[in-house]
Amino acid sequence: MSDFYAANLVLIQSTFIGILLALSVQVPMRAGVFSFAGAGSYGIGAYVSAILVLKTGMPSLLAILISGIVAMVVGLLLGLLVAHLGGLYLAMATVSFDLIVSVLAINGGDLTGGVTGLFGVLSDVTIFHLIGLALLGIVGVALTERGRVGRRVDAVRDDPELAQSVGISVRRYRLAAFVVSGLLGSVAGSLNSLVRSTISPSDIGFSLIVLALTMIIVGGAQSWKGAVLGAVIFTWLPPLLAGFGQLQHVVYGVIVATAAIFVPGGLYGIYSEARYRRTRAKRKTPQGEAPAHEQALAISVPNGDAGRSA
Amino acid sequence: MSAADATATRPVLEIRDLAVHFGGVKAVDRLSMRLDEGRIYGIIGPNGSGKSTLLGAVTRLTPLTSGEILFDGEPFHTVHASQIAAKRIARTFQTVRLLPDVSVRDNIQLGADAARGDVDERRGWWARNFGTHTSPAVASAIARTRLGGFEDYRPAEMSYGTQRRVEIARALALDPRLLLLDEPTAGMNQRERGEISTLLKELRDEGLTQLLVEHDVQMMVDTCDYVFAMNLGTVIAQGRPEDVVRDPQVQEAYLGKKFRHA
Amino acid sequence: MLQDLLGALGLASIYLLFALGMSLTWGTIDILNFSHGSIFMFSAFTAHLLIPYVPMGFVGVALVCIVVGALMSLLVQVVAFEQIIKRARNRNTAERQILIGGIGVAIIPLAIAQEVTKSNPFGFIDSGFEVTTWTFMGLRGTNILLITLTAAAALAVGTAMWLRRSRHGLALRSIGVDSEVSAMMGVDRRRLAIVTMAVSGGLAGLAACLFTYTLGAITPESGDTLLIKAFACIILGGVGSTGGVVLGSVLLAVTETIVLTRTSGLWVEAVAFGLIFLVLLVKPSGLFGRKEVRRT
Repeated sequence: MSDFYAANLVLIQSTFIGILLALSVQVPMRAGVFSFAGAGSYGIGAYVSAILVLKTGMPSLLAILISGIVAMVVGLLLGLLVAHLGGLYLAMATVSFDLIVSVLAINGGDLTGGVTGLFGVLSDVTIFHLIGLALLGIVGVALTERGRVGRRVDAVRDDPELAQSVGISVRRYRLAAFVVSGLLGSVAGSLNSLVRSTISPSDIGFSLIVLALTMIIVGGAQSWKGAVLGAVIFTWLPPLLAGFGQLQHVVYGVIVATAAIFVPGGLYGIYSEARYRRTRAKRKTPQGEAPAHEQALAISVPNGDAGRSA
Repeated sequence: MSAADATATRPVLEIRDLAVHFGGVKAVDRLSMRLDEGRIYGIIGPNGSGKSTLLGAVTRLTPLTSGEILFDGEPFHTVHASQIAAKRIARTFQTVRLLPDVSVRDNIQLGADAARGDVDERRGWWARNFGTHTSPAVASAIARTRLGGFEDYRPAEMSYGTQRRVEIARALALDPRLLLLDEPTAGMNQRERGEISTLLKELRDEGLTQLLVEHDVQMMVDTCDYVFAMNLGTVIAQGRPEDVVRDPQVQEAYLGKKFRHA
Repeated sequence: MLQDLLGALGLASIYLLFALGMSLTWGTIDILNFSHGSIFMFSAFTAHLLIPYVPMGFVGVALVCIVVGALMSLLVQVVAFEQIIKRARNRNTAERQILIGGIGVAIIPLAIAQEVTKSNPFGFIDSGFEVTTWTFMGLRGTNILLITLTAAAALAVGTAMWLRRSRHGLALRSIGVDSEVSAMMGVDRRRLAIVTMAVSGGLAGLAACLFTYTLGAITPESGDTLLIKAFACIILGGVGSTGGVVLGSVLLAVTETIVLTRTSGLWVEAVAFGLIFLVLLVKPSGLFGRKEVRRT
């Protein structure tokens, strides 16, 4: 057991970091906010923590906390700035934000180490920090899937006008999504640079966005369980396919495209649909209604206009 | 009615000279309306007469161009759309709007979530927001709309008429003072319509003020106490349903099609 | 200074040719094709692979690029995007899945090219077409620059005219404006969507051919860089407006050239990202775009 641990330490560490990264993109998606800013927050967290520890030698947790606060503020500002955007436009604005972060990293001179980045970031981060913070993230996100909050997030995603009419402040939920995404992404980035003792601009480019996206598309965007599933798969699959060289990316591309076409709910989506179908089959038909009659009349009302502003 | 009586009963909803213009189109034009407590009001009018826009303006989803809306005497048209539920105004929509991946029970619970009922206030912040309890308001709304047995269904598995009933149940779970219904019986069969009509009248007897936008003349005549007929964004006639239906202006607006059996 | 301007115009032309394809599908059939960059790169890559075996000359290379680009885009449309649209619950979902699907599809040609070239640059050496330089009134130019400028201008005008006048163009524009209305009017959406995608791919192929000749060589990653820049051009000019794309391309190229000559080369990338962000913040519909920018 400890042999496995020692041999795969890097992968195990990457799993927990990956979980937080995946969550940072999953949380806004679930609220209907098509934002990739989690990757940019990852960059902010990675660099701010690295700089803090390198220049001041402060304890890791403090650095992670401070970076997290910075990222949350930035997330809030970003959320306010793009509040009027939807769909594709929002996605592209957040992608631009992410790429601006990486350009700032490249042009940060001595502070960010420029193109080569920062080295020798020695910290006291242990596997327990990784596990603890990842668990904290999971529990936090899982809570938002329960009860009143969970229902309201679903409403904000599926039908914002309806949500307004039942007293939900759609704006507040969307801003919260940006802030939470900022925190999660930042913690992931901080842990990465502190554990690897290094950070460079190539770690936070477009490939990071693709990675996060892949995780939640394949794992499933509607729940933290999908994010965790996706993170585990795409941390442990690459080493298995390493023998194929660059062609392993063909596999990823096919997986993502297939998921986008056929399985938009991801693997977790398949599982939860299957589970629902099983409970539905066991269900008794309501009294006073002819069951066959009802089934025959079941008309799927398309939600075509949901989500458009008045 | 003496002047004293008139001021004693402050209207639940009052609309003064409302105008809603969309870039050249006057969807609602100089409309005034007054809804007193505990009565069922109807709005009838052809397509494009501004009925749904009116509801949108009242529920603050559509911005006003000019005019005033007063709820319980207080100016209301500056209130944000997400705050009307707190004022206990509930509505249903012209096209059924239910969350597709969520059970009937949870859809109705959305309405109860908005209510500031005593039962929920007693729970702590934590239980209220993250607890998986179902409010009693939901069970009673399900009972009143005869949805018993459908709690675990998803909208797509039910008939259109049943889905509409869920929307009404959601509105009821909010414990409203004013209920706005946009063509609530569209897609329902005769029996369901009768049930809804009975339900709305029961609710009225319990003191709930209602505004019903309806196409079906029979439904309107059976259910409403007072009717406004709209055309081209303004009220062209108002009064008891039987009188409005016989009004020549109203009949002309409908080209005699819908008023054959008035 | 004039030399720089000439260079900027050449750059703008490349951006324009690339962006025209994306703008065409986005502005008319509401498809933002994220695999456009990968298709661009792979069409040049295919030509590169064929050159040792087939004597081609400029026309041959261009044809190969155009055909490969058109075929690949067509394939993506039929195999991926059509399927997504068929299954999507509503427009927003379809849009999102198409974006994601495009990103997924884009990975495949990129990976293949990276594997074969080991991420080294590749070009059209020994294709039978030589890039020649000339000087005119103190300005230095190349034959490829001339071809690029001409092609860009011609295709931009041609596209604009096509969209405006032809029956096909009207059908496409009506799809862009209101799919449901045009569906009722019997416009064959599927066929037009396929044709549009193929044309867009052909434009990408042509852009790739000219781009590779201009630079001498490109890398497998070149397509993705251009993708973001094309997005900036379209957003700046306004989705759905050909004139907008032209203006956007010129503005971007000129701004990048200015930044390049005045500061260190590392800020150049930021121009595109910064412009996108700025435009989306201030005027998301761009300079000439349609008013409608939907909120979720």
